[in-house]
Amino acid sequence: MNASVPASLPSRRSLLRAVGLAGAAAVLPLTGCGAEAGRQNGVTTLRFMQNKPEVVDYFNQVIKDFEALNPDIRVIQDFNEGNFVPGLVRNDPPDVVTRGFAQATADFVKKGIFADLADLPAAATINPEMQELISSWGRYSGNETSALPFSVAAAGVIYNRDIFDANGVAVPTTWDEFVAACETFKAAGIAPIYGTYKDPWTLAQGMFDYVAGGSLDVAGFFAKLTATGADISTAAPESFTNNFGPALPKMLQLASFAQGGAESKNYADGNAAFAKGQAAMYLQGPWALSQLIAANPGIRLGTFPLPVTNNPEETKARVNVDMALSITRNTPNMAAAQRFVGYLLEPAVVNTYNEKNAAFSPLKDAPAVTNPQISGLNHSIKEARYFQGAVTYFPPSVPVNNYIQSFVYSQNGDQFLSALDDEWRRVAERTAA
Amino acid sequence: MTTTSLAAEAAPSPRADFADSPVIRSRRRIDPTYYWMVVPVLALFAFFITLPALVGVFFSLTNYAGYGDWKFIGLSNYVNIFKDPAVLQSYIFTFVFALTTTVVVNIVALAIALGLNAKIKWRTGIRTVFFIPMVLSALIVSFVFNYLFSNTLPVLAERFGFTPLATSILANENLAWLAIVLVTVWQAAPGATIIYLAGLQSVPAEIYEAADLDGAGSFRQFLNLTLPLILGYLVINVILGFKGFLGTYEIIVGLTGGGPGMATQSVAMRIFSGFTGGDYSYQMANAVIYFLITLLISVIQLRLIQRRGVSL
Repeated sequence: MNASVPASLPSRRSLLRAVGLAGAAAVLPLTGCGAEAGRQNGVTTLRFMQNKPEVVDYFNQVIKDFEALNPDIRVIQDFNEGNFVPGLVRNDPPDVVTRGFAQATADFVKKGIFADLADLPAAATINPEMQELISSWGRYSGNETSALPFSVAAAGVIYNRDIFDANGVAVPTTWDEFVAACETFKAAGIAPIYGTYKDPWTLAQGMFDYVAGGSLDVAGFFAKLTATGADISTAAPESFTNNFGPALPKMLQLASFAQGGAESKNYADGNAAFAKGQAAMYLQGPWALSQLIAANPGIRLGTFPLPVTNNPEETKARVNVDMALSITRNTPNMAAAQRFVGYLLEPAVVNTYNEKNAAFSPLKDAPAVTNPQISGLNHSIKEARYFQGAVTYFPPSVPVNNYIQSFVYSQNGDQFLSALDDEWRRVAERTAA
Repeated sequence: MTTTSLAAEAAPSPRADFADSPVIRSRRRIDPTYYWMVVPVLALFAFFITLPALVGVFFSLTNYAGYGDWKFIGLSNYVNIFKDPAVLQSYIFTFVFALTTTVVVNIVALAIALGLNAKIKWRTGIRTVFFIPMVLSALIVSFVFNYLFSNTLPVLAERFGFTPLATSILANENLAWLAIVLVTVWQAAPGATIIYLAGLQSVPAEIYEAADLDGAGSFRQFLNLTLPLILGYLVINVILGFKGFLGTYEIIVGLTGGGPGMATQSVAMRIFSGFTGGDYSYQMANAVIYFLITLLISVIQLRLIQRRGVSL
């Protein structure tokens, strides 16, 4: 007993000392870095986080060119978007960020995470209609420009040009023409549309968003709904029940044109099958194009906006701001960050990116898209006839995709819309508290 | 720990007056090795499990979204949980699923164990085959079954004209949960089988000889001899299984992802959605409620075990 006391005490003390040293060793270099990371030998280091891992090479080249022109700035690219929120929590976010702009990013804007970019010269070159895609989500303190669009993805109906030509079908410009085209394919034994209902998001972004966006003012609807707050019932004029009802039969009609067994096919199955020519049309966005080409390099594809009414001038495309540029408000390198953002929005950089990635440039005087896979959407984009998908307005805690899948299976529209009303009200109630 | 043993040395044990044995025990030095075995694990457990759980309980009383500002909102998250039919549905699904799976797993495992305990040909080889599902990752197993249900089975069903299976049962809101039960049973039965095998091997062979002489048939022998003698193992299997199935997650993710519609959303999936959904504090309240329910069930089951004289 007595012998063990002197033996154990020093050992514990030395243990503590060792732990303390290790801890200090771990902390010291970190603080050293933190103080000097921004500026070293007159060179400012920027951290640039972008949200698309598949275009790392393009941005590496952009950064190389930028650094050659600006020897006093060094840019580090980080394509792991998952680091963004932890960076905020540590109060050490990247200096320049690109994000897909929807509900989640709009929440960051509301919390004042991003700096005001309205005074940047580049901000004046942006197409105001496309800037509105961002502003419509709400602006920090009412008038700030927290993000500038960099790349706008437009989605419609991807179609197989060979199947259309072989059956003498022209690109439909009205709903009736679209239905007639589907009937023609059906009569010829071709599945009009390839459905991948096993992945609920494909139903949400395709069938649901296209028909909802084509038949009602989605942004206006959600603005009114949000303004109503938690005090909303199924009977209220702002409710889903009272606005989405007329669109539902068209959604079901659209769903009925899918091939048999769509319930057990997922997105990967759909890409493989559509690339093999197993259907005439595919309700997917430009993200599917590269996969379809990879599966069948010889396939001739086009895209047209889904006509939901019989007035061709009302036909709209679904768009999303795939990449929006922001500078974090508390960055110590504001001047350098602004120069980098200015460079990214130079026509040569931003237009080339969008041309390469089957997307639309947000610049006012961007050249018309010539890529035949998406040029069918040119008209809608040019005339600003587009909408952001209705499902992107839902808070992530509402499993709206699953509700849509349920609706397609059960065909019970009343139940579907009242479920959306209830979910929306419950989330509004608990987030208002 | 040195201080505690010093204190024990200095102060005479109050129990020394009552009996001799406690005195001897308190005088006997406790080997510090045992503390070195227990204390680090205790510290790790407290730091990585207890502490985060308490932080979660704390945030369930706030409106914290996972980042940014938050404030206390009292019990309103808890009140809202009880008004949320989607959460209620996930509870109903999870309990029905756990009960069904527990029953099926135990019937299947007991049957397999009886077969594997009998003197059959290639017993060792067959045992190995039956235990393979246990070493495979549940997520991988469920992805494989997902492919079978969605692609292979419909093709086969169509060829043989068996229409009920011509579309994937994973796409059927009323039947998808049966597919999940099937895969869970396939994955969980070997573990239960091992426990039953251990139980069956502890039953002495003589009693069966005696029963034979008394003219009991094999079903009678099973009902009146085997089952009562391995009841403790049955209780363990039921309790461990039920608790495990209440937390079901990865097999559902691999098979249906909670769909079709909302048909197969388990409570664990709902809770996890709070991390990505900006709904952190609300789902933390859900987690606290679920913890209390499972705690209650565990206490009841432990009571049952103690009555049966079995200890875990």
